[in-house]
Amino acid sequence: MPVFKTPFNGYSVKFSPFYENQVAVATAQNFGILGNGRVHVLQLGPTITERAAFDTADGVYDVCWSESHDSLIVAAVADGSLKIYDLSLPTAANPIRSLHEHARECHGVDFNTVRKDSFLSASWDDTVKLWTVDRPASVRTFKEHAYCVYAAAWNPRHADVFASASGDCTARIWDVREPGSTMILPAHEFEILACDWNKYEDCIIATASVDKSIKVWDVRNYRVPLAVLNGHGYAVRKVKFSPHRASMIASCSYDMSVCLWDYMVEDALIGRYDHHTEFAVGVDMSVLVEGLLASTGWDELVYVWQHGTDPRAP
Amino acid sequence: MATPPSDSPPSSAAGKPPNPVSVEPSTGGNPDTKVEAVKESSPTSVFVNSEPIREEQVQNAMKFLSHPKVRGSPVMYRRSFLERKGLTKEEIDEAFRRVPDTMTDASTTQPAVSSQDGQIKPSSNVQQQPPTQVLQPAAIAPVGSASKVGMLSQFHWYHAILAVGFLAASGAGTAVFLKVLKSWIRKVASEEDEEGLLKKNDAKPSVAEDAAAAAKAAAVAAADVARASQEMLTTKREEKRCFEELLSMLNAQVHEMKSMSNSIQKLESGQSVNGRIALDEQDNQRFLGTSSRQPYANGKTDTESRSVRSTSPPVSAEPPHPKSYMEIMSMIQRGEKPSNIREINDAPPNPNQPLTNPRAAPRPKPWEVSQPQNTSVNTYPSQEISNGTTYHFQDNQSNGDDEVPWWQKKNVRITEVESSEEHDFGSSNMPAANNQPPQRSWVPPQPPPVVIPEAAVAIRQPKKAAVQAERMNDDQFLARSGDATDELQKITRYSETAGGSVEGSSGFSDPSATEIQREEDNGANLET
Repeated sequence: MPVFKTPFNGYSVKFSPFYENQVAVATAQNFGILGNGRVHVLQLGPTITERAAFDTADGVYDVCWSESHDSLIVAAVADGSLKIYDLSLPTAANPIRSLHEHARECHGVDFNTVRKDSFLSASWDDTVKLWTVDRPASVRTFKEHAYCVYAAAWNPRHADVFASASGDCTARIWDVREPGSTMILPAHEFEILACDWNKYEDCIIATASVDKSIKVWDVRNYRVPLAVLNGHGYAVRKVKFSPHRASMIASCSYDMSVCLWDYMVEDALIGRYDHHTEFAVGVDMSVLVEGLLASTGWDELVYVWQHGTDPRAP
Repeated sequence: MATPPSDSPPSSAAGKPPNPVSVEPSTGGNPDTKVEAVKESSPTSVFVNSEPIREEQVQNAMKFLSHPKVRGSPVMYRRSFLERKGLTKEEIDEAFRRVPDTMTDASTTQPAVSSQDGQIKPSSNVQQQPPTQVLQPAAIAPVGSASKVGMLSQFHWYHAILAVGFLAASGAGTAVFLKVLKSWIRKVASEEDEEGLLKKNDAKPSVAEDAAAAAKAAAVAAADVARASQEMLTTKREEKRCFEELLSMLNAQVHEMKSMSNSIQKLESGQSVNGRIALDEQDNQRFLGTSSRQPYANGKTDTESRSVRSTSPPVSAEPPHPKSYMEIMSMIQRGEKPSNIREINDAPPNPNQPLTNPRAAPRPKPWEVSQPQNTSVNTYPSQEISNGTTYHFQDNQSNGDDEVPWWQKKNVRITEVESSEEHDFGSSNMPAANNQPPQRSWVPPQPPPVVIPEAAVAIRQPKKAAVQAERMNDDQFLARSGDATDELQKITRYSETAGGSVEGSSGFSDPSATEIQREEDNGANLET
């Protein structure tokens, strides 16, 4: 399976929703503590080649593809700005937009898959902001969390609903039409680093936390989790529901592994990949190719492999 | 956003443990169906908390909010604490509503005094304050011990300091209060006397009697207060001991924090790095840190400073950070800047750059197959399905365009067929929709693969071969045909050549075989 070495430490990897063989990678120098950043757009093939790369003044913590435009990428930068890149333009013409409203680092960005015109940014300034590509200013600001918001995720079926995961140990469900959050899930006793919705069950959400567990919740009965997935040795950094299997979840953790879970099964851990040699910080499952996984980590490597195969196999 | 009725959760995959209808917090059978209907028409109602307000929780919240120390903290922290305890917004709002800024909740002295004399009542509020405050510290203990990391750690810190101070002050305060109370009563009695002088003589004795009775009651109440405060003092002493232990631990941490904040302040003059120290750094501090830090098994011992953005994870050993990471962290704390950082201007060269037009149409998501109205493109899969001539699940762009596909994902249909093995997925695999039946009706080509278990087994083995197969060039893809028998033959051929190099075997249909292999792999993984 091909692997790509990035010059900086990897933070996030996302498959393109338009092209099966493209991924975008967010990287930050010096582990994201202090330094520059770079967004890579990689082409998958017998080897992984770099199609484009964009340098940023500060580390890039997350990246996402536009759902309506095949060449647009949004990057969440550690200086609090969001950069929009257009791959169809030469590198010198990029970025085409820089949206700077957050007071602290932008840590997460997610594009709406239903409306396809708007995206969210989650920031360490405790807010989530809603943007559209054509507007220079944010459309809404959601300020309720008491601590850093690490991730925001749109509901795959409801265009106005999204969830946010925060260091204040709560996850919140929001509706953009409502002024405040509509639900508060005190999901973990420790910081919640990521959340994602089940693509096939619109009321089911997974949260990943510093407490090494992933919990799966039904928002209609959110006092008790549907499942608690234990198995990671350290904080779980990202969690992603499979676009193809309703109960499959991929996760990556500071224990350097990428795990696959099926929360409907008694023994939920169905796969484990230990290919990274440093913190595994980004993971994604392809929407277009079933079973295709990508991961990146602080070991500056990006792996793309098929579930069931060895990521490090040549 | 349009959500077709067929998609509403109750009618979707049956594999979910919680029956959504029974779990609905609404109170009766009828409201359930109503809520269902509401859900279908306005989907967001599912994402709204419809639990009734729990009075017990509101009471707990009120006790928390009434605490003087809590009153001194920002409202945001109070809300955050209550949210973490599981209160809903409505409950929190109700608690805030019920606990106004002046303290008027029940204390032991209030009923005794206020019931006696109307004249004393107005000033009873004044004398409520000290006893209430004295009694309130009792509430600190459960709150304090229940505190955990997070924002409340700050309370903890302040709790400790202020509580100890309180203990000392309360003892002296009680004594002072008693003296004040007595003198006040005397004053009231003398005022009564003055008023009585203006009135008739017969009124005088009754007023004086009333005043005396009130004074007695007040004295009794004061005695009660004294007793209560005595008891409090004993418990306080015990708490004091615990606090002192905490204090000693916290002191150590304070030293840490001070040194860190010093270095951070130095940094702040140049760079704004302090906030960057986030989830990873929490561990890092420990690493850099201290022998005095105890394992955070119970999560209680660590303070956090917002400026440093750290919390304590529930691990007894922090994840081992890369060595270079530690080097960089220590560099930064010393105030040095890593040398590999360049000055980059990443501003948009043309902020008004017009947006280009997309060159490809959005592709439908696998879970959106059942919702053709979501995007116009969704109609493609349906057409393909009805055609039955192609295995492409999403074929919006002609495959020749991008090189795509040594891994071009294959059929959801084969997935569904294979899912009979993976019983867990079962029905949950399929996007809930009324379009399923038409898709399934097209399924007939698939059964043959399942009928040959040997092929399935053989395919399962050569993962390596599959990997190589996936690397095959695009030509093979285009050679794909929609004929089921052909596919069957290919699969058989593949299984025959299993274990050997499959590369270059002609007529081998990449997608189907690799897909089946994938499915088998999935099955294998699931079965393990």
